Amino acid sequence: MRFFKSIMVLVQKDLALELRTKEMFNSMIIFVLLTLVIFNFAFGEVIETSDEFLGGILWVSFLFAAVLGLNRVFVHEKDEACLDGLMLVPMERSFIYFGKAIATFLFLSVVEIVALPIFSILFGVNLLLNPFLLLLVLLLSNIGIAAVGTLLSAISINTKARDLMLPILFFPVIVPILVGAVNSTRLILSASEFVADIYIWLRTMAIYDIIFLLIGFLTFEFIIEE
Amino acid sequence: MARVIEESSLLKNASFISVSNLCKSFGRRKALDGVSFELKKGEFLSLFGPNGAGKTTLIKILSTLLLPSSGTITIDGVDLRKEPLKVREKIGLISHNSFLYGDLSAYENLLFYGRMYNVSNLEEKISEVLEKVELTHRKFDLVRVFSRGMLQRLAIARALLSKPQILLLDEPHSGLDPHATEIFDTILKDLKEKGHTLIMSTHNLSRGLNLATSVVILSEGKIVFSEKKSAIDLNEFDGLYNRYVRTYQ
Repeated sequence: MRFFKSIMVLVQKDLALELRTKEMFNSMIIFVLLTLVIFNFAFGEVIETSDEFLGGILWVSFLFAAVLGLNRVFVHEKDEACLDGLMLVPMERSFIYFGKAIATFLFLSVVEIVALPIFSILFGVNLLLNPFLLLLVLLLSNIGIAAVGTLLSAISINTKARDLMLPILFFPVIVPILVGAVNSTRLILSASEFVADIYIWLRTMAIYDIIFLLIGFLTFEFIIEE
Repeated sequence: MARVIEESSLLKNASFISVSNLCKSFGRRKALDGVSFELKKGEFLSLFGPNGAGKTTLIKILSTLLLPSSGTITIDGVDLRKEPLKVREKIGLISHNSFLYGDLSAYENLLFYGRMYNVSNLEEKISEVLEKVELTHRKFDLVRVFSRGMLQRLAIARALLSKPQILLLDEPHSGLDPHATEIFDTILKDLKEKGHTLIMSTHNLSRGLNLATSVVILSEGKIVFSEKKSAIDLNEFDGLYNRYVRTYQ
C-alpha cells in the first residue's frame, strides 16, 4: 500500500512540474513532428510504393524524441538537489525509480498520441487497421523505453557530459525494443497476412520490459548513492 | 520502586546516538578516520572544523545519504546500516541545499514532502510550520522567486513537517541575512527546549557555541577535540579552536 501511495505522489509531483514548465513535453513534441516532416520529405516517394519503412520512420522519430525527454527525467532532482530530499524519505529508494519510470511512460504516451495522427496524415497511413495491436505495441515499447531510459538517465545525470552520455548508453540497450516495435508496427500498418508473427515480437518486448524493470528495482539504490 | 527509578534514570542517561570508529574513504582519501562520539537525547552537538574536515560527510552518513566504509552507528537503538528506513523516520536534514522544487509553490512542496512522509493532518501541519517560519503570506508563491533566507526557512518547515526526533544541520546559516538568522536560531532554541536532538556543523564559532550543549572539532577526518560546553571556557574557545585545527593540519 505504501508502495503505491508513494509512487502515486511522486508521479503526481512530476506531472504537476511538467504541466507548469512544459519543458519536456514541448521539446519532445516539436522534435518528433520535425523528424516526421523531414522523413516525409526524404522518403515521400519511396513510401508511396512501399510501406516497409513506415515502422522504422515512426519508431526512430519516437526514440529520438524519447532521448530528449529522458535527458530531463532527473533534471529537477539534480539542479535543485532534490534527489537527496527524496533519498531521506523513509521508503525503499526503488520507489523513486518506479515513480520516475511511470511519469516518463505517461509523457511518452502523450507525445505519441499527439504525433500519431500527424504521422497518419503525412504518410497517408490508416492507423485503425488493427488499433488494439497498435496500442499494445505502443504500451510495451513505452514501458521498455521508460524502464531502461529512467535507469540510464539516473546513471548519466552525475556525469559531466550527461546530454551525450545518455544516447550513447541508451541506443545500444534499447535495440531489442526498437527491432520489436519496428517489425510489429510494419506488420500492423501493412495489414500483412503474417500478423500472427507480431506475437513473437510482443512476447520479446514483454520479457525485455520485465527484465529491465527488475534490473531497475534491484540496482537503482546503488546507482543514486554517491 | 527504587528499581524503576534506577532504570528510568539509566534510560535517560543512555546514548541516543552512538557513533563508533566511523571511517569513510573516497578512493584513497580518508574523509572520516575513526570518528566516535555519543549523544544523549535532547543534546545539541555543534561540529566545528575547517573546510574538508569531514563535517558534511559525517552529517551525510548520519542522515543515511552516504554509506560508511566501516564503523557502527546506532540511533535510538537502531543500527543505521541494518535498518536505514527506521533511522530515516527519526531524522530531518537541513543543509545549504533546500531540497525544494523551484517550480512548485511553498505549499505544493510541503504537500509533496508531507505526503511522502505520510504526515497525518497534513493541511493543519503545513499551516503550523509555515507560521513558525513566518512564510504563511508566501504560501502560494513559487519557490524559485524566494530569497536565500526564505528558501532556508522553508527548508526548515520541510524538515519539521515529519516531526523528526533528530535534526541534522549542515552549515544551515550559510547565505542567511540577519533577520533570517534570527528566526532560524529562535526555531533551533525552541526545538532544543522541546527535547529534540540536534547536530549542527558550522563555521560560525559563536553561533555554534551559543546553541550547543556539546562541542566537537573535526580536522582531517578525525575528532581532535570533544567536550561538554559546560567544561569549556567560552572566551578562550577561538584560540583553542585555532590551536587544535593548526596542530592537526
